Amino acid sequence: MNAIGTDHNWPSGPLNRKDTLLIGIGNSSRADDGLGWSFLEAVENEPGFEGDIEYRYQLQVEDAALMANYALVIIVDAFQGRLAEGFQWQACRPAPQFEFTTHALAPASVLFLCRDLYGATPTTYLLAIEGAEWGLKEGLSPSALANLNAAVASFRQLAWPAGKETA
Amino acid sequence: MTSKITIDPVTRVEGHGKVTVHLDAEGAVQDAFFHIVEFRGFERFVQGRPYWEAPVLVQRLCGICPVSHHLAAAKAIDQIVGIDPEDLSSTATKLRRLLHYGQVLQSHALHFFYLASPDLLFGFDAPPEKRNVAAVAVEHKELATRGILMRKFGQEVIRAIAGKKIHGIAAVPGGVHKTFTLQERDYFLQENDTPSIDTLIQWAQETVNFIKSYHDKHYQWLDTFARYPSGHLGLVGPAGELELYHGRLRAIDANGNKTLNDIPNNAYIKYFAEGVAKWSYMKFPYLKHLGLRDGWNRVGPLARLNVCDSIPTPLAHKEWVEFRNYTNGKPNNSTMHSHWARLIEILYCAEVIKVLLEDDAVLGDDLLREGPRRPEGIGIIEAPRGTLIHHYQVDEKGMITKCNLIVSTTHNNEPMNRAVRWVAQNVLNKQPRITEAMLNEVEVAIRAYDPCLSCATHALGKMPLHLEVFDHEGNLLDERYRN
Repeated sequence: MNAIGTDHNWPSGPLNRKDTLLIGIGNSSRADDGLGWSFLEAVENEPGFEGDIEYRYQLQVEDAALMANYALVIIVDAFQGRLAEGFQWQACRPAPQFEFTTHALAPASVLFLCRDLYGATPTTYLLAIEGAEWGLKEGLSPSALANLNAAVASFRQLAWPAGKETA
Repeated sequence: MTSKITIDPVTRVEGHGKVTVHLDAEGAVQDAFFHIVEFRGFERFVQGRPYWEAPVLVQRLCGICPVSHHLAAAKAIDQIVGIDPEDLSSTATKLRRLLHYGQVLQSHALHFFYLASPDLLFGFDAPPEKRNVAAVAVEHKELATRGILMRKFGQEVIRAIAGKKIHGIAAVPGGVHKTFTLQERDYFLQENDTPSIDTLIQWAQETVNFIKSYHDKHYQWLDTFARYPSGHLGLVGPAGELELYHGRLRAIDANGNKTLNDIPNNAYIKYFAEGVAKWSYMKFPYLKHLGLRDGWNRVGPLARLNVCDSIPTPLAHKEWVEFRNYTNGKPNNSTMHSHWARLIEILYCAEVIKVLLEDDAVLGDDLLREGPRRPEGIGIIEAPRGTLIHHYQVDEKGMITKCNLIVSTTHNNEPMNRAVRWVAQNVLNKQPRITEAMLNEVEVAIRAYDPCLSCATHALGKMPLHLEVFDHEGNLLDERYRN
């Protein structure tokens, strides 16, 4: 992910719903590129999330059919660049942004196909987490790990606004 | 004067395609290059790791065809645990084949639906806002949803065998991790949220008919665009038939003469070398006995249908006969016919999947074999984009000491450069400015090969195509990006 607005678009309403789909994009063999997957692992490791979780290297066309089954979709991805808080929430809207190979499909494009092919436009947010290292390496850099923790804390706050114990 | 070309190393992590065109003093195209920033460090990454990790680790080479890398590595590691392909159990072999054909099917379906169909349906001179899959979704909804369902079918085959689409484990050294259940098998024989295999075969036939009908109307363009003579390389079965999972390597020249006569996988090192160019990180494989200049080959669907003598499934074979008759049995060197070949391969994959699904061996429980340990293993497979070679050596403790990978896009490095050169000479020649349509013609030529520009790199939004035109003194005349 390399293009994103400068301000948070905080998700409105609770995130922890059965009709929520959480998608993590990345590759854990490419250092901080694994942020999306690490985020999912963090959510999976603490019980209580009621939605569904999917790991992806990249989004693909069939994800349009998958997303059509949900009311809320959260796509978590590493970000190459600076983010003021180390992470950022961004609303995602359908848009035809297409590449010239099959190797990448933008979240907005998948949402576009979701709307036009399946008549569904789930509320969708991108959660971008700033990474620093992109070489061949397993494990996150210290700064990416800090950003991950901040992003997970933000997610937790939005998923369980009244606190997890009472959720 | 030759201009100096540099590739910024930063782009190595971005996935980046760059085309440079060089003009002479009269403005005619002197040369053109397609620079691929290919990721090679994985070979070093796996060194020092235990051999049994390789099939899992290498899945992360490519987010589009992880299964191909998984299986090529597994085939190589089989040999390290003393198992040759013929020693695998019938169940393991057939489940791996099912996995592989599901992978090729889904990849080809994605390519046709996502990349090829917008150009074919709207023309490559259509405005860019129309020439993409979004417009296909709007104006050809049935085709679009079929494309997605065909892709999904293949993905579900992978999920059923490997457990997950990501992080899945199907092949293990000497066999497979788990068998197929009756319920899993029956899912694909019946209509569900994905089509049944019979429906899939019918759709595959209709899609081949679509491309033939399209060709009847547009043959002048399809036959000539980016056509150039080349060698072709691919695996064939014992009778010379098309084979994607395991076979012998065959290469032919542009006239159909064999230049590599059905050699076994383990002999590849004797026949192949890799050249380098200072303007590209990607190597240039070639046949040693023909040399760097003449020994390069195309790989992928077009090459495979050129090198084989038949297709071992009836419907696809019938289409192959028609395909070959179009060039009077001679090798087909028309780049755009790659799409036609790819659709015939979808039909072939669907037919093979049906045969495998109806074979009770896929439900068996004889999953693993083991023999005397060996220090080396070579696995070769036909990935969706072409011949994929994995070669490993291990020490006495089972740690990988050497890894050599030749991926499909590397074989197609020179062919893609030839295709780009064709476009430069036929479209960009003596044109001072690059138009949107010109850029798209460059794209169309490259798209036919669907190169893996940077396997498994985090690529969302970071895979632009950058076209530059330089004058005879190396001054940049014009440039255009496709983001």
